[in-house]
Amino acid sequence: MTWVVWRQHRLEALWALLVAALLAASIGFVAHQMSISPCPAQASPGGGPVPGVADCLPSDFWGSLAQGIVRVNLYQYGLVVLPALAGAFVGAPLVAREIETGTARLAWTQGVTRRRWLLVKLGLVFVPLLAGAAVVGILEVLLINVEGPQANRWALFDQQAPMTVGSTAFALALAVAAGSVLGRSVPAMAAALLGFVVTRVGIAELARPRYLSPLAFSTNDASAISAMKGSQTAWWLDQFQFRTSVVQAYHYQPGDRFWTFQAIETAILVGLAAMLVAFTVYWVLRRLG
Amino acid sequence: MIAPIEATGLGKRYGRKWALRDCSIRVPAGRIAGLVGPNGAGKTTFLHLAAGLLRPSAGEVRMFGRSPREQPKLLLDRVGFVAQDAPLYRDFSVADMLRFGRVLNARWDQRAAEARVRSLKIPFGQRLGHLSGGQRAQVALTVALGKRPELLLLDEPVASLDPLARREFLRALTGAVAEEGLSVLLSSHLVGDLERVCDYLVIIVGGQVQVAGDIETLRSSHRLLVGPRVRADRLLSAVDVVRAQHSERQTSLWIRGPLPVLPSGWREEPLSLEELVITYLATPAAGTLPEPELEVAGL
Repeated sequence: MTWVVWRQHRLEALWALLVAALLAASIGFVAHQMSISPCPAQASPGGGPVPGVADCLPSDFWGSLAQGIVRVNLYQYGLVVLPALAGAFVGAPLVAREIETGTARLAWTQGVTRRRWLLVKLGLVFVPLLAGAAVVGILEVLLINVEGPQANRWALFDQQAPMTVGSTAFALALAVAAGSVLGRSVPAMAAALLGFVVTRVGIAELARPRYLSPLAFSTNDASAISAMKGSQTAWWLDQFQFRTSVVQAYHYQPGDRFWTFQAIETAILVGLAAMLVAFTVYWVLRRLG
Repeated sequence: MIAPIEATGLGKRYGRKWALRDCSIRVPAGRIAGLVGPNGAGKTTFLHLAAGLLRPSAGEVRMFGRSPREQPKLLLDRVGFVAQDAPLYRDFSVADMLRFGRVLNARWDQRAAEARVRSLKIPFGQRLGHLSGGQRAQVALTVALGKRPELLLLDEPVASLDPLARREFLRALTGAVAEEGLSVLLSSHLVGDLERVCDYLVIIVGGQVQVAGDIETLRSSHRLLVGPRVRADRLLSAVDVVRAQHSERQTSLWIRGPLPVLPSGWREEPLSLEELVITYLATPAAGTLPEPELEVAGL
């Protein structure tokens, strides 16, 4: 059975390995360049998407190459988009292609039960892809570590482990379920992509800021924010004004909550993925036919 | 002896429509049974129920006394199935396809499978997507036979083949059956093909089984009587008429049972299997079944 899954999906495996290797190499390269020259203690306050990274790079050829990679930011987007692509191109056809080409009728009448067929297939596709997502996510954590304790992790929330693993698990499980129910690869790909974007954006925009109730910082002097202890590592949410006062208040999530938030959101996505896998098993074993 | 296939009250419903209804048949062991009926009659549904691909909506089907959906582990190795259009992994080579059969089936006979491919003169390295329809059907049959099943289910195995490839396929099938002594149920809407290889026949129309029985018994228990229309009435009351056809002067009666005393001007004409099948297909209401009744009628 292992050989059958390998023979069917070796092309996807090759692609996944290639993409993961490219990502890992580019992240590792930037991290290495950053570690060569010491970062200035004070990086720009407020922070862009990757605060202070450019300040940490050496000014030679390799340093400017690393800076180019950071500026294009390809791997940062890639880490958000790739789970969705893995879902669409590996997850969606997993069961759907067998149904639409009729080979499900061949596979399910061999000497291996449908349950075993499905579980082996799911396992052999999920485990390597999740491992790849973990490796790339951990490298991203290390890259941000190079910036030092003042680095703001919130801007790259989705790109770090364990979120990369949760995101990939959810994308794959959603796509496999969509493929099993729709029975056709292309509509399943579209449904899985749409479902992934809507769910991920919904969680990130609506749920994420509220995992723990935000702290408030009030001042009548906006420049006091950057002077606040932990200002750089915080996630600043919104600004509001008390009706009767000139004092401005700012909601924020402090930097030391980052890993708690990672754990909560990863747990949500892995939980959703587990439910989708259970649904897929139910659907393929009980409802198909 | 436990029958390879036994269905009792078997039915499958899609939404409100019954694709197969109240189907009770027992296919005896060691036979090549043909499942015949028009398109959409429920042949594929029956085979998929038997292969465990579908779950019955009513009744049950048992293979060697076991349910294919409830006890798949005990049956999957014993039953070979080739679906309609012989689906195979098109990007696999022939050798890959045999390896697929080998790793998924405990009783796989690699040597016999390789010998079959060699005798068909199909290159092992060839991708299945590049083979002709006839060759693909042969490879699918090879995979199904390679697992050394006790029962082989084939859904329209020759429908997409040209006459020569069809003949080759059926010859290969009968050869394999003679060697292995397995039971076969194959569906077709072409009676001529079934007549060549089958010794048992199941006629299915509109989701219901019309006739099931030994082909020789069927043949000997049905006759075609032709005579002048004016003297048909007396005969009509004396025989079991499956179908009657009247032209201006002449009446043709397809009847079940022994030859009656014929009024003057009436004669018996030879009845081919194809004509017999068409008779039942044309008059679904004439359905006899259950099979034991038919056998009583034939004896």
